[in-house]
Amino acid sequence: MKAAVLKKIALILALALMAVPVFAAGQADKSGSTQAAGPVSIELWYGAAITEAGPPPQDWAVLQLIKEKLNIDLKLSALPSNESDQDVKINAAAAANALPDLFMVRRDPWLNLIRVGLVAPVDELYAMMPTRSSVQYDADSKVFTTINGKSYGLASPGSIAKNEGMLIRKDWLDKLGLKVPVTTDEYLAVMRAFTFNDPDGNGKADTYGYGAFIEINNFEEGLGRRMDPFMGAFGVAGTWNMTAANAGLNVRNPAYYDALAYVKQMMDEKIIDPNWLSYKKDDFRAAWKQGRFGIMREQNAAFGAESNYAPFDKNFPKGEWIVIDAPKGPKGHQSVGVYTQAFRIYAVSTKAAAAGKGPAIARLLEWMSSDEGYYLLGWGQKGVNYALDANGVPTPNGLPDPEQAWTKPAAQVFTQLRNMVYYNGQIELLSRYPTYTTAVSGKTMSALTIMRDMQKRPWTAAIGSDALPPPNADLKRFYEQGVLEFLTGKRELTKANWTAWVQDFDRLGGKEWESAGIAKAKESGYLK
Amino acid sequence: MDMKSTVKRSKQKLMGDIKRHRAFYALLILPICYFIIFKYLPIWNGQIAFKDFMPLDGVLGSRWVGLANFTDFFQSFYFTELLRNTLFYSFMKLFVSVPLSIVLAVALYESARPRFSKLVQTMTYLPHFLSWVIVYGILLVLLAPGDGIVNDIIKFLGGKPIDFLTDTKAFPWIVILSDAWKEMGWGAIIFIAALMGIDSSLFEAASVEGASAIQRVWYITLPSIRPVIFMVVLLRLGTILDAGFNQMFMLYSIPVFSVADIIDTWVYRQGLLEFRFGLATAVGLFKGAIGMLLLVFANKLVRRISDTSII
Repeated sequence: MKAAVLKKIALILALALMAVPVFAAGQADKSGSTQAAGPVSIELWYGAAITEAGPPPQDWAVLQLIKEKLNIDLKLSALPSNESDQDVKINAAAAANALPDLFMVRRDPWLNLIRVGLVAPVDELYAMMPTRSSVQYDADSKVFTTINGKSYGLASPGSIAKNEGMLIRKDWLDKLGLKVPVTTDEYLAVMRAFTFNDPDGNGKADTYGYGAFIEINNFEEGLGRRMDPFMGAFGVAGTWNMTAANAGLNVRNPAYYDALAYVKQMMDEKIIDPNWLSYKKDDFRAAWKQGRFGIMREQNAAFGAESNYAPFDKNFPKGEWIVIDAPKGPKGHQSVGVYTQAFRIYAVSTKAAAAGKGPAIARLLEWMSSDEGYYLLGWGQKGVNYALDANGVPTPNGLPDPEQAWTKPAAQVFTQLRNMVYYNGQIELLSRYPTYTTAVSGKTMSALTIMRDMQKRPWTAAIGSDALPPPNADLKRFYEQGVLEFLTGKRELTKANWTAWVQDFDRLGGKEWESAGIAKAKESGYLK
Repeated sequence: MDMKSTVKRSKQKLMGDIKRHRAFYALLILPICYFIIFKYLPIWNGQIAFKDFMPLDGVLGSRWVGLANFTDFFQSFYFTELLRNTLFYSFMKLFVSVPLSIVLAVALYESARPRFSKLVQTMTYLPHFLSWVIVYGILLVLLAPGDGIVNDIIKFLGGKPIDFLTDTKAFPWIVILSDAWKEMGWGAIIFIAALMGIDSSLFEAASVEGASAIQRVWYITLPSIRPVIFMVVLLRLGTILDAGFNQMFMLYSIPVFSVADIIDTWVYRQGLLEFRFGLATAVGLFKGAIGMLLLVFANKLVRRISDTSII
C-alpha cells in the first residue's frame, strides 16, 4: 500500500518535472519552423512613432504587400513608449530566450544582450541592402554598433541633433522692460524679475524664472539635460568631456562645483519652479503652457508643433516665446547642452540568425528604404493619406478626405513604422514641420524654423558619449542622488564636502568608470 | 489487517465525499492549477540564484557560481540602507494600516445608520482599485510645493511650503499615509466579515448590563476578532520584505533615494535592467526565506500567547 502511494507521488512529480520546461523555461526554439517554400516569418518589435496612437490594423495592406512581394510574413508588436518598460520587456524576453527576430533596443540593454550572446552580428547584412545602407548606415553608425570588431546592430539616425533650445517669454521681458539676458548674472536678474515682479500682471505671485524637470540619460547624467544650459556656462554640460585635452567625467572637474553652486543659488532664491524635482515630462509641459515660468529648455516640436503650441496659444494669445542663447559663464563658456549623433538600434536575435533569417531581414529593410517602402511607411498611401506638393514634399492638403491625412489621428496608425524609414532628410523635415498659423493669436509658426534657430546656437559636441560604458546601478544612484542632495541642502555644498563626495564617488568605482570611458573613447576615435 | 481496512475505509470515504461535493471540488481545480503553474513549477528556476544565468545555456546549463549572487547583494554599497528602508516601510504599514482598518471596520459595524455606513465603506475601499500612477497624480495635485492644495493652505496660514515628494523627512510619511488611505477600506473587509460572526446576544446582554459603546468594543468586539487580527498580522509578516514596489516605483525620485530605495526597487535596477537575473532570484530567495522564518517564529509566539495559529 505504502509502495503504491509512493509510486503515485513519484509519477505526479515526474509529470510535474516534465511540464517544467513548458511552463518555466520560456518558449521553445522555433528556429526550425521556417519552411523554404512558404513565406519567411519575421517578428518585429518596433518603436511606435506616435505612442498615443494604436498599432497598424491586422489587415494593413502593407503586410499583404510585403508577403506577396518579399515572401515575408511580418508580425508586428509595438514596444512600450517608456524606455524602462521597453528594457523590461526586452530583458524578460531575453531571459526566456524568446527575443523576436528583429527589435529596437536601447544601447544599455543591447550591450547586455551582446554579453550573453543573444544578438547576432549583422556585418554581412549591410552589403545585402545597398540603398538602405547609403541613407541609414554611415560609418559613424557602424562604429556605434561595433563591439570587438563586429557590428551587432543596425543603427539608424535617431532624433535630430541640437533640436532643443533655450526659450524665454518675450512678452514678459517687454512688460518688465528687460533685455534678453546673456551672462549667468543677467539670467539670474531676469529670473528674479520673472519670479517677483508679476510678469503676467495677474496680481499673484504664481510665476517663476526657470522651469525644468529631471531628464537623465547616460550622456546627460547628474541634473539632466534641462539644466545643462547652466552647467554648460561653466563648461561641464553632459556626462563626459569629449575633448582630447580634458577627456573625462565632468563631475570630477572642479568647475562642476561652481556650476552646482549657481544652480543652488537659483533654488535658494526660489527663482526656479519649486515643482521641478517632482515634475515628470508631461507635468513640465503642462506647466509652461499654463504660464508658470518664463525660461526653459525645450525641444523644437514639443514647443512649436501645431498641436503642442495650441494650448499655450489659447491660454496666452499675447504670449510669445523666443529662442535665445544659453547663458554665458564667467569664463566665457556657453552651451545649450551636449549633442551626439543619436542612433536608433535595431538588433537581430541570435535565434533569427541561426534560423537563416538574416537575408529576409535585409530584404525587408532594403524594401523599407526603397521609394515604395519609404513613402508607404513614412506617410501612408498616396492620394489617401498624403499628396505631393509642387516641390515633391508630402502634404496633408488637397486630400479627398482630410481626416485620412497622415497627420490626423485616424491615419496615424499607418505611419507607426516611419521611424524605421526616416533618416532626417529635407523632405521629411519639411513635411513633418509645416508652417502654420496659430488658431487664436494668428501667429505664423514653424517647428522647422525654430529648430534651425536652435541649431545655430552654441552647443557642446559630445559625439560618441552615448556609446561609452554606463556606470553600474549603485554608482549611478550615488552620482544622481549625491548631486541632488547638494542642491536640496541634505548635504551642505562646501568645497570640502564636495571634495569628500568626489572621493567617495571614486571609491565606489567612479574613477574606474572614467578610465573605462576614456579608453573606449580613444579606441573609437571619439575624442576631438 | 486493521490498518489496511482503516486506510481503505478512509479512502472510500474521501472518494465518496469528493463525489458528493463534486461541484466544490471542481471549483478547486483552477486555483490548484494556478498554484502549480505559477507557484510550484517556477521553484525549479530558483536554482538561477546560484548560477550566472545565460539564457542560451538555459537554467541547467548556466555556470554554477555558488553564493556569489547572494554576496553581491549583501555586499552592495546600499545593502544596509535598503534593508532599513524596506523593514521600516513594511512595519510602519503594518502598524498604521492594520489598526486603521480595524478602527474603520468597528466604526462601520457600530454605525446605527446602515446607508451612511455602506456609503463610507464603498468610498473607503474604492481607492484600492486606483493604480499608483493615478494616486501619484492625485498626490502631486495635493502636495506640489508650488501650487499643491496642501501647500496653498500652509502658505495661507503663513507657513513655508514643503516639497513633500522630494523632502527626505516628509516622504516616508507620504508613503505610509498614502498606502493607508488606499488600502484601509480594502483591509477592513476581512475584519467586517469577522465582526458579522459575533453573537449579537453578547451585545444585547452587555447593553442590559449598562455597558457603554466603548466598553462593548473593548470587551466584546475586539476580543472576538482577535484571531482574525493575529492571522492578518501573521500573513503580513510572511511578506515583510515586500514593502510595496509599485507604490515606491511611482513615488520615489532621486532626491529621496536615501529614504525610498527598497530591496525591490534595487532589484528592479540591478537585476532586471542590468540583466542580472541570478542576482534578482537570489534576492527573491532571501526575501522568501526571511519571510518564512518570521512567519514560523511569529506563529509559534502567537500560539503560545493565544490559541490562534495559521500553521
